[in-house]
Amino acid sequence: MADASVIRDARLETLGRFAGLLAIALALFAAVLVLFGRNPLRAYADIFSSTLGSTYGFSETLVKMSPLILTALAAAVPSRIWLINVGGEGQLFVGAMCATWAAIHLTGLPSFLLLTIMAALGVLGGGLWAAIAGALRASGRVSETISTLLMNYIAILLVNFVVFGPWKDPDGVNYPQTAEFSAAAILPMLGGTRVHLGLVFALVAAVGLAFLLARTRWGLEVRAIGGNAEAARRNGIPIERYVLVMMFIGGGLAGLAGMAEVSAIQGRLRPSLSPGYGYSGFLISWMAGGHPAGIVAAAFVLAVITAGGDILQMTQALPGSVVNILMAVVLFVVLGRQVGRR
Amino acid sequence: MTKLFVILMSLAVSAGPWAAEAADPKLKVGILHLGSVTDGGYNQAHAEGIAVMKKNLPEVEVIQVENVPEGADAERVMENMINRGAQMIIAASFGYLEPTMRVAQKYPNVKFFHPGGYKRTPNMTTYWASTPEAFYLMGMAAGKTTKTNKIGYVVALPISFFLANINAFELGARSVNPKAETRVVFTGTFLDPGKEATAANALLEQGCDVLGVIVDSPITVVQTAEKRGAYSVGFHYIGVSKFAPKGWVTGVAFTWGNLYTRFAREVMDGKFKSEDILGGLADDFLTLAPFGAAVPKDAATLVEAKKQDFIARKAHPFQGPLNDNRGAERVKAGETFPLTDLRKMDWLVEGVVGQPR
Amino acid sequence: MITAAIRSLLSGAVMSGTPLLYATLAELLSERAGVVNLGLEGVMLVGAVVGFVATVHTGSAAVGLVAAGLAGGLFNLVFAFVVIGRRANQLAAGLTLMFCGVGLSALIGARYVGSQIAGLPELRVPILADLPIVGPALFTHDALAYAAGPVAVLVWWVLFRTRWGLVVRAVGENPVAAFAAGKNPHAVQYQVLFLAGVLGGLAGAHLSLAVARTWAEWMTAGRGFIAVALVIFSRWHPLRAVAGALLFGGAISLQLQMQALGVPLSPFLLDMLPYLLSLAVLAVSSGRARHAVPGSLGRVFQGTQ
Repeated sequence: MADASVIRDARLETLGRFAGLLAIALALFAAVLVLFGRNPLRAYADIFSSTLGSTYGFSETLVKMSPLILTALAAAVPSRIWLINVGGEGQLFVGAMCATWAAIHLTGLPSFLLLTIMAALGVLGGGLWAAIAGALRASGRVSETISTLLMNYIAILLVNFVVFGPWKDPDGVNYPQTAEFSAAAILPMLGGTRVHLGLVFALVAAVGLAFLLARTRWGLEVRAIGGNAEAARRNGIPIERYVLVMMFIGGGLAGLAGMAEVSAIQGRLRPSLSPGYGYSGFLISWMAGGHPAGIVAAAFVLAVITAGGDILQMTQALPGSVVNILMAVVLFVVLGRQVGRR
Repeated sequence: MTKLFVILMSLAVSAGPWAAEAADPKLKVGILHLGSVTDGGYNQAHAEGIAVMKKNLPEVEVIQVENVPEGADAERVMENMINRGAQMIIAASFGYLEPTMRVAQKYPNVKFFHPGGYKRTPNMTTYWASTPEAFYLMGMAAGKTTKTNKIGYVVALPISFFLANINAFELGARSVNPKAETRVVFTGTFLDPGKEATAANALLEQGCDVLGVIVDSPITVVQTAEKRGAYSVGFHYIGVSKFAPKGWVTGVAFTWGNLYTRFAREVMDGKFKSEDILGGLADDFLTLAPFGAAVPKDAATLVEAKKQDFIARKAHPFQGPLNDNRGAERVKAGETFPLTDLRKMDWLVEGVVGQPR
Repeated sequence: MITAAIRSLLSGAVMSGTPLLYATLAELLSERAGVVNLGLEGVMLVGAVVGFVATVHTGSAAVGLVAAGLAGGLFNLVFAFVVIGRRANQLAAGLTLMFCGVGLSALIGARYVGSQIAGLPELRVPILADLPIVGPALFTHDALAYAAGPVAVLVWWVLFRTRWGLVVRAVGENPVAAFAAGKNPHAVQYQVLFLAGVLGGLAGAHLSLAVARTWAEWMTAGRGFIAVALVIFSRWHPLRAVAGALLFGGAISLQLQMQALGVPLSPFLLDMLPYLLSLAVLAVSSGRARHAVPGSLGRVFQGTQ
């Protein structure tokens, strides 16, 4: 058993290395900005003040983090048994769709009940959507990487179908969107900000997952499968069932993100619900190695970078494309640490 | 290595554009785009309008952000612009309507402008150029030009504004050519040149010899038509006629420059008033492209006459009786479908082959 | 009308399928060597824009193709360095490459939106092009489209009939064993990734030089990801990749065709066809999938590589 102080030192070392990496990334970022004739200090100051330097800025960062954490967990949970779930986007949409059904058909219910049903449907929708891919994988028919990817496209088309068709806003707008949700169907928000209950969902899920994996028998079996699937199977652990369950949980989390976005942020279902949260979540999950704490941290960094991107466009008059490149450069630097594993 | 960075940074700090702005601008205008301003289409039209505004009013400073998704991000961007001193915001995409209203309510002293919106706050103006009349006229030109009586339309999504355009187009074509038929293919997305080319080819194979287009950028479809010897009708980008020297019929584009100049002037002079502006053929923010050589000469006369009728309100593109392409009656005889209600149009008129949902 | 539809369908299948095939072959090669590149989309975009810009400046589509291939290869080398040289997580690095490609291509292409090129010329194959239906559908395409099939065969031949191909596959199965056998897995992977980049660049170039003959940001619209799926679909075999690309391209063409014919189905439901079809074909023709995965790819997915 390792000594507690050794573990602490190891953690400090990782932290130090991470900080060093961040410094290099920032410096590289600055160099590129200089190349384009911009002032990096000003840029950083602007980014900082817009994301962390004010209550508003910080609240917006949290708003951005909420769906990212959930979709990252959506990829992380199945990844524990080496399933690749790239379907977070589609699962998010299906979850949003199911929650929307409740919002527009179960009017008249008290808010607490309605929101609970919406959340449950969000989880159910996203979970089942992912479970289909899980079933195809468990029966040895289709790799979940390909099925979840294809089902992303199908999910978005489904949303388009209902939004242009049966669920189109009868208020006569005819733009592809559903009717506005009643106040009862909107997730409560904190103070005057847009920080909503979705953040709580996300953090609870992250903590819950860490706990479940580390301290329960279920978590033990999951780790066993992740360590050596064949040996686990021979020990009687029902792999196929776990494939289904893990995919369901992952999809459910993404579906919950969809419900939160559609309820708190959008107020109605639109095809433009998600600017790629599912894929960003996937990226975050694999960057953080699937660890809940790392996921929260990475989601935070990505939220800041995204907001920073807009700031750069605004204050430095940089075209959006350059911001994309800068983001990629930073990510490459962070990814390119000589760690050996991962 | 570290030394190098330190040197670079100090150079940046000393040589970079510090607070070296010229005299304080009289007005800061923020504009957000859903896509990229170099899309050769919708977003570019807005950006070009802003450029004209800047030229006309050099004392105005512009803050421009591209690729802003609808929803929470739009609100954040707008708030950031306001925090940076923007007193006027143009939220250049229909989907920004609700975010704009929320931010507008929060900042009653800032003026907001939204294209295509149908509701507003006291510090907000919505504006749009009603396109069906222009499409009716284009349809007339196309109806006169087509030899196979089949016109194809490559459209992004079955949004009501687009459906209205197609309906007006078909009605215009029918009015000069009773056999004219319009076939619509929806690509499902605003910009995917590969799909647009495939869709265009499919329509051409079905015998269409005129191709129209309603996507972010008309270039692909117009080029495909030209390559296969068909005629083309453009949208969003006046300059696209150069891609179809032989087959160009006409096109329509938004030219927001003067309108944006007027908006900025109003805000600067404190003369802003919240209104819903629905422009048309008589206004300068909708421009009909000159006819191509392929269009018969008598068409130009007919079109000009109709244009004057529209402007004088003596004619209406959606004059009843009108049935949709599934046989149901949509507009009774003697009535018209009001242009202010285009949002409600979710059907395609008889003579159009296509599924609107 | 039906003959026109069939003709159009086949023609559209080739037109949509060609970039898909090149992209699938690119990813296939890469994965055979044990590297998953989710950023193929970015490579395609870089190829598309560089090819377009080069054609605008030189007036020659041939130069454009060469430039596109080179650009794609070089761009993919960046990815190669990050995942091979720095041992980064392949999946994350791939997605990052995609972002980079989107941004880089947008930056390069910004001034060229609306530029006009003649593009790749249509080459009619004499005699064959006059066959009824099949003629105009299959034999009036551009050089890249015609080359796609032969390139697939070439890739198959290189992978399965040459020494180098054997080494590539060995590296993909078990790089440690390959190393023990005296090969340099890293060098091999760099070579493969460059080649894959070239093919990816060509895939993009076909879009910008032949299909659309224009440049638009993110004009690949997800085709790079579809290619990743098609690789699995074709069970890492180049010849089956041809079938996969044609199937998917055909499905895209089919739904657009059906709309043009006026089939009374929602355009969105029709649009689902390619994806549903691919899933169905996969689900039905399964069983051997598990054994076709290159060995070390599994470890990529396990994060131990």
